[in-house]
Amino acid sequence: MLPSELLFVRRRKGRIWPRYAKLSSENLEVAKLLIEAYSRHVGEKKNVLKKFVSELEDMGYDYRFVRGLSVLLDRRSDFKCNVKVNPVELRRKLYQATEKLGLPTTPEQRNRIIKSVASELKLTSEMMEDSLYADLDSELVLADFKPLPPQDLLKNYNLSLTQTLLFTSTELSFTASGNWQRIFYTIKRLGLIYEAYRSGDFWVKIDGPSSLFKLTRRYGTALAKLLPAIIDNPKWTVEAKILWKYTNEICNFKIESWKHSPILKTLKTPTISYDSSVEESFATRFQALESDWRLRREPEPVPAGRHVIIPDFSFERQSVKVYMEIIGFWTADYLRRKIEKLKKIDVNMLIAVDETLACEKLDKLQKRGELSILYYRKKIPLTSILRYLEELFQPVKEKQASFVKNLPVKFLEPVVNYEEFAARIGVSTESVRTALTENPPDGYAVLPNSLVKRDKLKKIGKILEEQVSQTSRLPLPEATKIIEKEGVEDTPNILKALGYKIMWRGINPEKAEVIKSETQKTI
Amino acid sequence: MVKNGEKFKVYAGKDKEASLFMIRLRFARGTLLLRGEVGTPYGKWDPRVGCYRVKAMHYQDVLAYLGESRVPYRDEVPNLPPLQTLKSSVKLRPYQIEGLDKWRRAGMRGIVVLPTAAGKTFIALQAISQLKTQTLIIVPTLDLMDQWKRQVADHLNVDTGAVGGGENTVKMITVSTYDSAYLKAEVLGNRFMFIVFDEVHHLASPSYMQIAEMYIAPYRMGLTATYERGDERHVLLPRLVGDPVYTVDVEELAGEHLSPYAYEKIYVELTPEEQRIYDRETKVFRNYLKEKGIVLKSVKDFHRFIMATGRDRRARKALLARNRALKTALNSGAKLKTLAKLLEAHRDEKILIFTLHNDLVYRISRLFLIPSVTYQTPREERREILEKFRSGEYKAIVTSQVLDEGVDVPDATVGFVLSGTGSTREYIQRLGRLLRKVKGKKAKLVEIVSKETVEVRISQRRRRKRKKDSKG
Repeated sequence: MLPSELLFVRRRKGRIWPRYAKLSSENLEVAKLLIEAYSRHVGEKKNVLKKFVSELEDMGYDYRFVRGLSVLLDRRSDFKCNVKVNPVELRRKLYQATEKLGLPTTPEQRNRIIKSVASELKLTSEMMEDSLYADLDSELVLADFKPLPPQDLLKNYNLSLTQTLLFTSTELSFTASGNWQRIFYTIKRLGLIYEAYRSGDFWVKIDGPSSLFKLTRRYGTALAKLLPAIIDNPKWTVEAKILWKYTNEICNFKIESWKHSPILKTLKTPTISYDSSVEESFATRFQALESDWRLRREPEPVPAGRHVIIPDFSFERQSVKVYMEIIGFWTADYLRRKIEKLKKIDVNMLIAVDETLACEKLDKLQKRGELSILYYRKKIPLTSILRYLEELFQPVKEKQASFVKNLPVKFLEPVVNYEEFAARIGVSTESVRTALTENPPDGYAVLPNSLVKRDKLKKIGKILEEQVSQTSRLPLPEATKIIEKEGVEDTPNILKALGYKIMWRGINPEKAEVIKSETQKTI
Repeated sequence: MVKNGEKFKVYAGKDKEASLFMIRLRFARGTLLLRGEVGTPYGKWDPRVGCYRVKAMHYQDVLAYLGESRVPYRDEVPNLPPLQTLKSSVKLRPYQIEGLDKWRRAGMRGIVVLPTAAGKTFIALQAISQLKTQTLIIVPTLDLMDQWKRQVADHLNVDTGAVGGGENTVKMITVSTYDSAYLKAEVLGNRFMFIVFDEVHHLASPSYMQIAEMYIAPYRMGLTATYERGDERHVLLPRLVGDPVYTVDVEELAGEHLSPYAYEKIYVELTPEEQRIYDRETKVFRNYLKEKGIVLKSVKDFHRFIMATGRDRRARKALLARNRALKTALNSGAKLKTLAKLLEAHRDEKILIFTLHNDLVYRISRLFLIPSVTYQTPREERREILEKFRSGEYKAIVTSQVLDEGVDVPDATVGFVLSGTGSTREYIQRLGRLLRKVKGKKAKLVEIVSKETVEVRISQRRRRKRKKDSKG
């Protein structure tokens, strides 16, 4: 953030843009010159350094740009008062001496006073002169400076420029790809008011309590403070209304990630941070299941009446989306309010409530209920979650199965893999499996992962049998080779269907052997 | 919303049943929220939260309306600090009594216009001691904060709270700067019933006026020596604080309660070197104006020119040249020679020296070893210097603009003005600093102006404006 007089913008037809510093070689050169100047001036007075800066201004660069960079570098500098005597103390002595000896109106009178105080403090006259106002801002000495790459300085400048412009904003709208919990926490902490709505993407409009009565820049500073949380995202768009003080005109301001991310900040891959170990452990355990459900941490907010709910997780599988919120410490009242809020929304929401964290006794509140509340102790049970998810998916599965069944399709390929087929027609593997196994097409054998033409299966069976009769033993790699040569994967299920089983000798498949099973062939 | 059998613990207290249908009035960050679907005067439906919202300044009106309509309501707005016992030792002069009386009769709202040093503070202190309610005193500077705290301690015998300048304590009587009162309106707005706006003309600025809107205090008093603002925004004040209820001019009080003062102007010639720089830079500026056909007649013209400097590099060069010329004239070395003579002539009198630029303050301070006070002076040191000047230990102070408003520097008998900006208000208040009644001693103001420069025009403008103001 910069002093307002360094705000550098362009305005046209109701729109306003900061004059961003492009990462051009010329601008990088200025940044580099300044950074080097600061490094070089360590040990020198601030006014010497600032003289260099103002000379750079005279060289044809815009003063707002040069001074803006300088302001940012000042923040990386440590300016100190570098004299032995305390200037305040020294001045007090001089003033007191003056009261005794009278105001000096000639150089001689002045020298007499200086000398008398100098001898009292055991200093030379020069040291006195140097120290007299050594605590003034311009007289401070640059003690330390933390340099940074010129690129970063320019990006930092552009971000500061944007924030400085937002100081004069009356409202801000944005959409972003994530980071919601941090963003909404910040909105709340800054005392702002938001409205969420959909306009293609999920948008949030922010202003403050008094904005209801009139356009006010009062919340501009808070809106500027919110900006870093929004743009710390791979994708975002920010729009704001700027009340231009000089003309009292409302101007539109807009920045977008695809265009402005590269000049506003360095793109870091966002690290997912978990704010509680419960959630972290749940995420890890759920991922380990390798289920068909895609788990997402901190998905986009869900509008609920005038508010939004930021769920902890979402589970996604085809058209089915389920949200879950994990509730830590709670009271019955809190839970009730939460439920009221959730009733207003039109999505599947699962609430996981830790029974041991109840702050008061509960008389089985809402334990049945139309809302899905899952009470747990310490660990969220995966089985219950999966069961719940499967239940929700059941109607979809059934609908799709009947869709597949009624599909006017004639299979020609020798092998039909359920997964591939499902992907091709855009339904779940589950529903394809259900539909095809219940009512298998003529001439096909039903295997757990695929349909195989009976002819094909018989052919494979024959080759295998020949092999066994020739060598009297059949290693697994050999069998796999034969089966895959026929264009069929999924060796174990083929073998099983043909009445073989695999004898493992250790975990190495090279050493495993295929033998005749006692059980009957499944076909 | 209440379901059968469920007991919501929303309303504590004895009237639990009735309260379910009651209107709740709550303070929400500088505004009031009305729960319960009832519109009120000044209320506006806020679709963002589903409630009626009212500016905090209308608190009293909303209460009156609800009372008259016989609507049951619960007022959860005020969050007042505990009361303390006041022991007032304030004694008012007749015109102060009249001012206070007029203010009371105007419904304890309004603005009192009195010249600097006429004791506006005492009117406010007496009002506080009569109202005996939670009071916020808002002042423009940290110096004034210190001064008010001292006055409250001396005359009302209680500790004050302070918000601003690194302090943040709220007590029955709290002093704050305009800046802090503005920035913290969201949390301070419901903590006081009475607000004293010292130097109330500041309140009319677009941001500060929100202080008046975001605080609930029904009782309000504005104090100033210069009610009218150059930008005419003072017309907004009656809505925020109340009408001007009492006005006394400098001339009416001079001689009776204030010392009369003599005014003198000394012209000095620039040194040849200064004159050369001055002429060169002025030429750069004039040539630019001439070339572009720009005429600078009013303040507005000048603002337009300043705006142009943001776009046009040559305009900016011209502006910088003008500033250099002005600075050369204002800070002329010849003035320092004149000042030396004046200091010699006024030895042992209490002297205040004013300049516009800090550079010159420090040059004078170094040259004559006179204590300096600027915005950069450490707060402790500033306090010490002012205190010692007050007690007479220090005989002179050189300062830029920080003492401009309201700061009490009693007993100064001589003032030297080495530069100025030509603004009416500043001029009057600077004079005010000097107008102290010291045992028959006539105060004296000397202005040192460079000859044949723009500065002469600034200085004349100042005088002219003042004459006009005092007539009207």
